[in-house]
Amino acid sequence: MRRRDILGASAGALVGSLVARAARAQPPTRPALGYLGSETPERVASRLEAFRAGLAEAGLVEGRDVAIAYRWAEGRYERLPALAKDLVRSGVAVLVAPGGAPVVLAAKAATETIPIVFEMGGDPVALGVVDDLARPRGNLTGVSSLSVEVSNKRLEFMRELFPAAVSLAVAVNPTSPTAGSQLAGLRSAAESLGLRLHVLEASREDAFEALFTEPHRLGAPGLVFTSDPFFAYRSAQLAMLADRHGLPAITQSRDFPQAGGLMSYGGDFTQTHRQAGAYAGRLLRGEKPRDLPVQLVTKVELFANLLAAARLGVTLPPSILSSADVVIE
Amino acid sequence: MRFGKDAAMARLPIPPRGSLFRQYFLVLFTAVAVPLLTAGGSQAWFGYQDQRARLNDLLGAEARNAAARIAHFIDGIESQLAWMVQLPWTGTVDERRRIDALRLLRQAPAVASLRLIDGASKERLAVSRIGLNRVESGAEASADPAVAGVRAGRVWFGPVTYHRNSEPYMTVAVAGNRAAAGIAVAEINLKLILDVVAGIRIGETGLALVLDRPGRLIAHPDISLVLRGAGDRTAETLQALRAAIVAQHGRAITGPDPAGRMVVAAMAPVQGPDWSVLVHQPVAEAFGPIRAAFWRLLALLLAGTGFAAALAYWLAGRMTGPIRLLEEGAARIGAGQFDHRIAIARGDELGRLASRFNEMAREVAISQERSERIDRLKRFLAPQVAELVDRVGDDSLLDGQRVEVVVVFGDLRGFTPFSARSEPAQIMGVLSEYHAAVGVCVDRHGATLVSLAGDGVMILVNAPVACPEPALRAARMVIEMQARVQALIGVWRARGHALGFGIGLAMGPATVGRIGSDSRLDYTAIGTVTNLAARLCASAQDGQILVDGTAAEAIAGGLPLVSLGTRQLKGFDDPVAVFAAAAGRKAEVQPAPDAA
Repeated sequence: MRRRDILGASAGALVGSLVARAARAQPPTRPALGYLGSETPERVASRLEAFRAGLAEAGLVEGRDVAIAYRWAEGRYERLPALAKDLVRSGVAVLVAPGGAPVVLAAKAATETIPIVFEMGGDPVALGVVDDLARPRGNLTGVSSLSVEVSNKRLEFMRELFPAAVSLAVAVNPTSPTAGSQLAGLRSAAESLGLRLHVLEASREDAFEALFTEPHRLGAPGLVFTSDPFFAYRSAQLAMLADRHGLPAITQSRDFPQAGGLMSYGGDFTQTHRQAGAYAGRLLRGEKPRDLPVQLVTKVELFANLLAAARLGVTLPPSILSSADVVIE
Repeated sequence: MRFGKDAAMARLPIPPRGSLFRQYFLVLFTAVAVPLLTAGGSQAWFGYQDQRARLNDLLGAEARNAAARIAHFIDGIESQLAWMVQLPWTGTVDERRRIDALRLLRQAPAVASLRLIDGASKERLAVSRIGLNRVESGAEASADPAVAGVRAGRVWFGPVTYHRNSEPYMTVAVAGNRAAAGIAVAEINLKLILDVVAGIRIGETGLALVLDRPGRLIAHPDISLVLRGAGDRTAETLQALRAAIVAQHGRAITGPDPAGRMVVAAMAPVQGPDWSVLVHQPVAEAFGPIRAAFWRLLALLLAGTGFAAALAYWLAGRMTGPIRLLEEGAARIGAGQFDHRIAIARGDELGRLASRFNEMAREVAISQERSERIDRLKRFLAPQVAELVDRVGDDSLLDGQRVEVVVVFGDLRGFTPFSARSEPAQIMGVLSEYHAAVGVCVDRHGATLVSLAGDGVMILVNAPVACPEPALRAARMVIEMQARVQALIGVWRARGHALGFGIGLAMGPATVGRIGSDSRLDYTAIGTVTNLAARLCASAQDGQILVDGTAAEAIAGGLPLVSLGTRQLKGFDDPVAVFAAAAGRKAEVQPAPDAA
């Protein structure tokens, strides 16, 4: 009689635990990832794809293993701090801050505890995001493309195109945290190349038009864009303006020559976003940001568009063609 | 009783220490289990050793393969650089070589920057992915360790450095065939070896990694381990693995990986930059194939050991069970329970031993019965006769039979008036002396005292034990007896007792044997001869020995006899011839006939 009672009790416990396990498995309480977007989903579609590929490398699939909460600033970077705070309040497990220094700085200001994965073009140490690449202390880690560091190489490529030029125009977003350091680098490079620089500023889309009209007026044959996500996300618009005003230009993003612009030189954003996705996955799986060193992108790519060159009436020299990773014909 | 014992054994399966059961059990169990365990253990050990050897070969091959791929990676860069230093430098700007250099950057992604130095150690060209290119800078490069190093050999590998203490870089310099062709010096971003090592899988989850000569991590499928830079814990663990392999002369070893898992690791060198490629595989995975075999073997060993224990228990029980029955049976028989029988129905030695035991018990019972009977017989047999009966172990000679027998009667004369007027102590003293004298004679001559009633005695010769010349023997006995009693009579007369002693002796066939019941047994002779002897005794005077004709004839010349003619005796129709044996004092000194 007593034995039957015990059997009954243990069977009940077993059934109970199975039911509990099934109940636990049923509601989709997946860990939440907060994605802080500076633009619109349409503009970052290719980068999101790369990010999701990175998550998949860590074995996570959106909707199945992880839920992602998106916040979009739609190009108005001043809204980023509020959106970041909103994500932190919603209780996400990991915060993703891709697309440049403004995004990561907003995320960093919003939380000191939730792990943050950044994706940016600048030097995270110089910007004060982390204090050490190998051992990022604090709650941040991520990936940096070398786009900011290679601004002067863009000047060099434009000089290859116009070896006899005495001056070139440079487009800068004055609100960018890296604007100052990039300009300093460019000025020093211009000096060694024997060039005079015309610095043109634009932090809003309505100032873009002037970027392509001013160089003609100043006698600069080409325009060099500094690295800035605001420019990068508006590559198609810039390519259209360059084409309309017949101005050879070089930007950081491959989107520019692919949309009809002449050249681009910068870090491979699919690589950085994929690595950011992989890191986000590892943080979700419980690894600590201090164990994940900041990664620098290994691939800096040169894109050249021969059709654009033909329309602009310029000839790409062999040095550019032999350096180019992709030549669009 | 036996049920109780069995139940006790069932409750206590292992009897107390030192018992035969325990010894048998241990010996039998050991005899089966030890060879079984030895065979199983050695099989497991050799299986493990074989797997180790296989793993050593397998991982060694994987390590060499991985090292070859790393070497191929380095060789690719080296040959790209060699391409740049095939032609001698001229004094003018070499546009073609500049474009080749730019193309090299595109072709070799790992090359971060490239410097070309002419035969005079002047920098002629520098191209970079990040920094500005320099053409014809003419900077003096002879102090550059790469330039100095490559002068010694054709190829020079610099030490691994960590860019911003995170990304591993290495300088490679390649010299042309002629000094005039100059030197190509390239900065190699070693992070790109990731593509090589990430493509190597050892088994399911094993991996390959690269350490430089001091033991710093250069390449690992998890790039974040590499980017932690020099001085990370990870490298220390891997250095320990490498040192262990070197200590084992390059054989695969077992140790912890940076994550703390136990792994089997092997190593192969990369010749040019003097690196080590380590490959490792989790122990659980590497020994997976034989683990199943181990479990199977273990299960078989356990089953075998259990079987051995059961077999030993059964055999020990089978051997000691009968021994316990024998022990118990022996104890019972020893306690006098001769009807106990040991029930072991087996055809083996133990069965035979049990039947011997039973037989013995039966014989002991029979001999016990016999010895009791003989004890009873001894009362009326002369010691010699009793001893004979005892020796023969058979009292059948006391059974009734008809034999030629000599019957002797004797009694004291004047005993009745003596006993009427004497004190009991005096009477008993006289009888005691008288009986002692008669008993001595009977014993000496091997006769049988069949009756001793007061002053009368009846003695048989030639029954129940036959003897040669019974008549002569009897005659000699009675002569000695008369002499001894007459000597006593002399003493008694001196005390004032008027006593005498007469003897009658007759020979003839009579029926002899036991009469009476179990509680009161007598041995006697029935027949005419008994009556005749009694009558002769009655008619004998004090000191006289009367002998009948048959006995006298049998004595013949053995002793001097005097014929007294015939006498009319009561109970006998015809007169009986009577002889007298000479009873003299001389007879006392005569030697006793040999009783044997």
